[in-house]
Amino acid sequence: MKKLPKNNPFKTPESYFENFMGNLSDKLSPEKPNLPEEDGFAVPENYFDGVHQGILDKLEKKEVKVVQLPPYSRYFVAAASVAAILMVIFGMNWNMEKEVTYDDLAASDIENYFETNEFDLSAYEIAEVIPLDALEINDILTTSFEEEQVLDYLDENIEDFETFNFEDNE
Amino acid sequence: MLVEADLVEELKDSKTQSRAFKVLVNTYKQRLYWHIRRIVLNHDDADDVLQNTFIKVFRNIDGFKGDSKLYSWMYRIATNESLSFLKQKSKKQGISNEELQNQTLATLEADVYFEGDEIQLKLQKAIATLPEKQKLIFNMKYFDDLKYEEISEILETTVGGLKASYHLATMKIEAFLKED
Repeated sequence: MKKLPKNNPFKTPESYFENFMGNLSDKLSPEKPNLPEEDGFAVPENYFDGVHQGILDKLEKKEVKVVQLPPYSRYFVAAASVAAILMVIFGMNWNMEKEVTYDDLAASDIENYFETNEFDLSAYEIAEVIPLDALEINDILTTSFEEEQVLDYLDENIEDFETFNFEDNE
Repeated sequence: MLVEADLVEELKDSKTQSRAFKVLVNTYKQRLYWHIRRIVLNHDDADDVLQNTFIKVFRNIDGFKGDSKLYSWMYRIATNESLSFLKQKSKKQGISNEELQNQTLATLEADVYFEGDEIQLKLQKAIATLPEKQKLIFNMKYFDDLKYEEISEILETTVGGLKASYHLATMKIEAFLKED
């Protein structure tokens, strides 16, 4: 038997299937539902007469928008100002005769000064002012090393331990 | 008779904008107000959103290409402004949208600007149980009396989908009203 074509020759109106459910719903409930006709909402008297002007007023406000600080922040600003003034007053040294010397500075202040400020000093310049026996290895190095790490480094990188002359320098 | 294309042209022209804007507001204020009011429920909130809607229309009129009707475009802005307003309000109060809605419904009876009877109050509660889009479709079809084609343009949903949604909404509301 000759093979018959399988294509469907029938067509539907445009958007038929998209609208099917809607059309069916229309048939299921053709009349207006049995519900109150009014929603019960009301407006103030003459409300709609003032709508246009209200919009213009708001437009104007939005265009000239000034950022207002909250009222309480003014008190914070005033309090902060007073505190700053008091700090300056108490921080000042009123005794003009007193001379400031290095003894007045705590050791921690001096250390902190050097830590927080960069100095372009060479090793020789440092050595001139700090005696060798006053130096600790940890004053120079920022990273501490375990003894094992030092031994491993020496073992891997040094061929001849004689060069260190340990006996003479002990 | 208001010719929409002419009004849009006048709104875009700085010389005629002010007068045209007044015409626009006076023509559409009531329809947009009631649409907004049925979403936000409260008069003061509706007034706020209505103003914001017209301000948004005023500021964005140059971007209106005329692909849809002016009214549909404004209606869409009003819908989005209303929903955004409710989201912001609930966020400010630290509660969900649903809780805010329940809160507003609970005070509706005592609201000075609600003059509905018991059945109308119950109707509002019934509408509140619907999903957001279904609620919009119901209000726009039943109370605003818009045609399905107009709602389709506003909500960008097929007419068939709208009819099905409306049918479901009315069934749910009728069932709710029959409950004791």
